[in-house]
Amino acid sequence: MDHVSFRVARGRFFGFLGPNGAGKSTTIKMLTGLLRPTEGEAVIEGHPLEKELLAVKRVIGMLPEDLPLYERLTGEEYLHFAGRMYGLSREETRKRTDELLAFLSLEEERGKLIVDYSQGMRKKTALAAALIHSPRVLFLDEPLNGIDPISGRVVTDLLRRLAQKGVTMFFTSHVLDVAERLCDEVAIIDRGRLVAQGTLEQIRAQREVGQDATLEDVFLKLVAADVRREDLSWIG
Amino acid sequence: MARARERAVGLALLLPGLFFSSVFGSFMAYAGVRGAEAHDPELVLPLLSLIATGVGISWMLSPLVAGVSLSESHDVSRLLHFPLPLLTLVAASLVGNLLQPVVLAALPVLASLSLALSRSPSALPFALAGSLLSLLFLLAAAQVSGLVLHGLSRRRRFQDLAVFLVIGLGFLMSMAPIVLFSGGARFLGRAVRVLVAGDLVALSPFAWGLRAAVHAGRGEALAFVGWAAAQAAAIVAAAAISAVLIERIYRGELDLGGRGQEEGARAVMVLPGRIGALLEKDLRVAWRDPATKATLFLSCATPLFWLFVFTRTSGGLSPVGLLMLSMLVGASAFGNAFGLEGRGIALLFGFPVERWRVLVAKNLSGFALRLPGLATLLVMGSLLAPPALLPAAATGALCTFLVAAGSDNYASILFPMVAARPGHNPYGGSAAGSRGLGAAALGALFFMATLIVAAPFVFLAWVPMWLERPLLWILSLPLALAGAGAVYAMLVAGAARVLERREPDLLQRVLGEA
Repeated sequence: MDHVSFRVARGRFFGFLGPNGAGKSTTIKMLTGLLRPTEGEAVIEGHPLEKELLAVKRVIGMLPEDLPLYERLTGEEYLHFAGRMYGLSREETRKRTDELLAFLSLEEERGKLIVDYSQGMRKKTALAAALIHSPRVLFLDEPLNGIDPISGRVVTDLLRRLAQKGVTMFFTSHVLDVAERLCDEVAIIDRGRLVAQGTLEQIRAQREVGQDATLEDVFLKLVAADVRREDLSWIG
Repeated sequence: MARARERAVGLALLLPGLFFSSVFGSFMAYAGVRGAEAHDPELVLPLLSLIATGVGISWMLSPLVAGVSLSESHDVSRLLHFPLPLLTLVAASLVGNLLQPVVLAALPVLASLSLALSRSPSALPFALAGSLLSLLFLLAAAQVSGLVLHGLSRRRRFQDLAVFLVIGLGFLMSMAPIVLFSGGARFLGRAVRVLVAGDLVALSPFAWGLRAAVHAGRGEALAFVGWAAAQAAAIVAAAAISAVLIERIYRGELDLGGRGQEEGARAVMVLPGRIGALLEKDLRVAWRDPATKATLFLSCATPLFWLFVFTRTSGGLSPVGLLMLSMLVGASAFGNAFGLEGRGIALLFGFPVERWRVLVAKNLSGFALRLPGLATLLVMGSLLAPPALLPAAATGALCTFLVAAGSDNYASILFPMVAARPGHNPYGGSAAGSRGLGAAALGALFFMATLIVAAPFVFLAWVPMWLERPLLWILSLPLALAGAGAVYAMLVAGAARVLERREPDLLQRVLGEA
């Protein structure tokens, strides 16, 4: 990352967008204390990350893209474990686990080992674990990848409601129309550098693109993507 | 490219061995058959059948027992989307196997065997044909077993069971020579005599081609035709089974699915507090991991094995021997906790839990996993040494364990040995080359340091025995434990500070390699 600096207001749905390898996941790892930046600082919910790492971890929830889960636990056990790690009582953990499993349509799979879960089920389990302690900030790295359309709608509706209740969303996605639908504000990075930040209207105005330009149009213009249009020679 | 290079290196290493084993096997086959013919011609048929069956079963089970498949089980299911008949794929795999170096090395042995069996030159081609039919069936049967294993491996629970059983089987086989030398050979000899005398292995399809070869050598045309036809039918049947298996694997009918035994269980973390939840997580994960579970059982089997050896070689265990043994067992606390977490380390450090709790939980789970081995050792000690020494031995082991666990935390944080993911090269990364050797040297250093630091506490536990005042144990044992406990607490506090400072580096290192 190269001198990336931004501020996200509480309760905003913030989209962090960029092409593959731009540094989206790296940024999330740095903001959640999984990677140490060579320089610079981050403050989350008033806690400086470097000095109050545990305090930061108490208020954030994270859905990583590569989903490292304990594969030899069942989905239910994993949620119980996560609840206990966040300091919830046994009863509270059980109550929230039941609600989350029902909400994310995982009830039938609650007793199956995670190693036997599909990608979508893993994603939902990781999301449930990120929500179990009622975080103030949610870091979501490609949250809708691999989730079926019905669950996708349930998840996006939930995330919207959480944002309305003051939970800050830090969201990365390759699916730009989803980002356009969900995000109040976006930042676009390319090769580790921030190239634009603001609401879609602000970015359109800054970059002098038409008012009817979609987020995808703006994104392609900003990252100077070369979209090939010619056909393969033998297909005709 | 890397695979081709590995194959070339493997072949270069293998060729001299194959050449000599082929020459030696050919000589032994010829001399053995001629010797048996001269001694008792009736013995040749059952003896060869028994050997063929033994070789066939070993060949089929070689991926399970030795971890190396003698012929290739080609994953032909990957070719199924091409417009080719299934039997063509099966035949292609069989022909591919005929060109394997190990198979080619068997050809001179079969030729020599056929030569020894042939009583006239005109019988030789028929004897050779019978022998080759046996070889072809062996390859076809190995293909079936390879496909069955392939199908089962796609079902996670079966694969877990196979890993567990294979580790146990490997352990038992490594113990086999000792068991044979201590009386087991007599039993084996008796079993072979019964099988040969009754010619019970005539039912084994591995032997039918060789039986045809024996009859061909003797000029018994009808018997040759009968056994050769049976062997050919068995080959066709094996190929047909392979084709069915390939089709079923491709359709996913042998794939995972079905409900597991855990399903429906309402699992709650029972142990109290965050340390309890961490400990319970580790224990549940370890119990469901076949390799860890097998290691757990082996930690019980190893002391029992030594008990067996001790009872056959010496009268018992001296007090000093028991003291050393208890320290060595206690010092085996090195667990490489963070390296073994693999990618799960990102989850572990994502939770807002004080790092000293994480370290204590890791040490506790290491202790719990070694508890069965420790208990077995105590039982073994009570059989070999005076029972009065056992409290001191247990205290000594516990004191050493506390110091070892405390120092192991530093090794886990500073030099994690990252476990390879399933399906990846286990001899690569941090376990390989100079890094692996460096880690081993460091482990030895920590081991020695542990023994030195724990020595005063173990000495305290044993003083009453040397003074011949057992009552002093009431005082010395708790004191020794308290001292070791204090050292452990200091070590954990220091390690927690190191972990807080180095956490992102540790994460980068483990996640970069896991």
